[in-house]
Amino acid sequence: MLRKLLKHEVKATGRTFLPLYGALLILTIFTKVAMTIGAPDFFSDNVTTGPIAEIILGIAFTLYFVLVVALCVMTLVVIIQRFYKNLFTDEGYLMFTLPVKTWEMVFSKLVVGLMWSVVCGLMLAISGFILSLGSFSMLEVSQAISAGYADFYAQFGMSLNVILFELFLGMLVGGVASILMIYVSIAIGQLFNQHRIIAAFGAYIVITIVMQIIASVIMVVVPLANLEAYMEGIEAMNAIQWLINGTTICNVILCVLFYFGTQYIMQKHLNLE
Amino acid sequence: MTILSAKNLTKNFGKKVALSDVNVEIPRGRIIGLLGPNGSGKSTFIKLATGLLVPTGGEITIDGLAPGIETKAKVSYLSERTYLNGWMRVEDIIAFFEDFYQDFNRIKAENMLLDLNINPGDRLKTMSKGTKEKVQLILVMSRQAELYLLDEPIGGVDPAARDYILNTIINNYKENASVVISTHLIADIEQVLDDIIFISKGEITLTSTVDEIREKYNKSVDGLFREVFKC
Repeated sequence: MLRKLLKHEVKATGRTFLPLYGALLILTIFTKVAMTIGAPDFFSDNVTTGPIAEIILGIAFTLYFVLVVALCVMTLVVIIQRFYKNLFTDEGYLMFTLPVKTWEMVFSKLVVGLMWSVVCGLMLAISGFILSLGSFSMLEVSQAISAGYADFYAQFGMSLNVILFELFLGMLVGGVASILMIYVSIAIGQLFNQHRIIAAFGAYIVITIVMQIIASVIMVVVPLANLEAYMEGIEAMNAIQWLINGTTICNVILCVLFYFGTQYIMQKHLNLE
Repeated sequence: MTILSAKNLTKNFGKKVALSDVNVEIPRGRIIGLLGPNGSGKSTFIKLATGLLVPTGGEITIDGLAPGIETKAKVSYLSERTYLNGWMRVEDIIAFFEDFYQDFNRIKAENMLLDLNINPGDRLKTMSKGTKEKVQLILVMSRQAELYLLDEPIGGVDPAARDYILNTIINNYKENASVVISTHLIADIEQVLDDIIFISKGEITLTSTVDEIREKYNKSVDGLFREVFKC
């Protein structure tokens, strides 16, 4: 059933995102063409553009900027809206009477939400890559990257890949935690008989405050132990790794709390309008 | 053989008591009217049976099981809300039902859509409220479920379609399945009912067969209802 839930979730969300991604690609190519024709030396220091090219490029860049912002906002909006509207408004009457487990519903929404966030990032990267084509040589870039790796190894005695992997993992877990925090807030909000959306916002703010307080306490207690090491400089990278992985572990704990909180409320205290 | 059983079933919303100590057994192979005025607890009872609500006290079982994934596969539920996403076409929602309910019969659904002149390619948001209700009822009755829980199935549809819908209900359920219909439009559905449950202020005040009512009170169910629940 999980596979079917995922399939229908992708179907329900894809109709919003695919046209946006299509528009982004078209606009990227249009902008790139306009740049190539109107301002061939755009990335050099002395740009010379004609007035018409300038106007067209201006419009293209503005549209591009608006679309990029719209994509990021829509990703967040869809993550929130699919969880709230599909589960806790009238549509919930259908979803909660399907022969599926509660965790499958939460999980399918989480996975698809995360997927669109990653796709959004990828699309922006691809678009940026297309726009900057011709401004650099692949050879130089790859040389710079391998030089970076070598420098890093020389300085810290470890591969840059380790840090990059830890950063990636941290971002992934952080992303999951932020989505689950939205979910648990919505689940708390629906416990109220009125003003559910306001209650959900309230829950989100309260959770944020509580987390801030706990984080400050941890910040006061924990780094003091490593501060000495940090000051010595040699172990600086160790301290950074500590910070990254410590945050990841905290986020894992938050994920578990938010996830089971959401599931508990959905199983025991479902309160559809 | 009991398909649905409630023992000391109680549901409170905060301090408000919606159902209080309800005991009822619903056998297989019957069409049961769950009858009561607005706010008497009809929908609450049905929602407890579907698992949309969790009891405050007592228990409710379907085929011996507490509401859960197994019972949801056996229960076909028509909510009083229109729960279909507006952006979907009728054919999309049919595919959805087919995917999630193994007992869904696509051919049945398509035939009923044809009978009621509903185009499978139409989007739900372009439909009137009555048409949406018809689509929902078609979906629910196209399942070969063991228990149908129909919450106000005919409230929003015109009298001509009501007859078709009632016929659909009678003709579409398996022999050992039961249908629970909650409504206050008793005169319209009286002809199809086998049994009735009167519910008032969260308590069951009468359970009886329709024949018994006609013999004992010499009244139609509608007549008795009007007398019992007179304001």
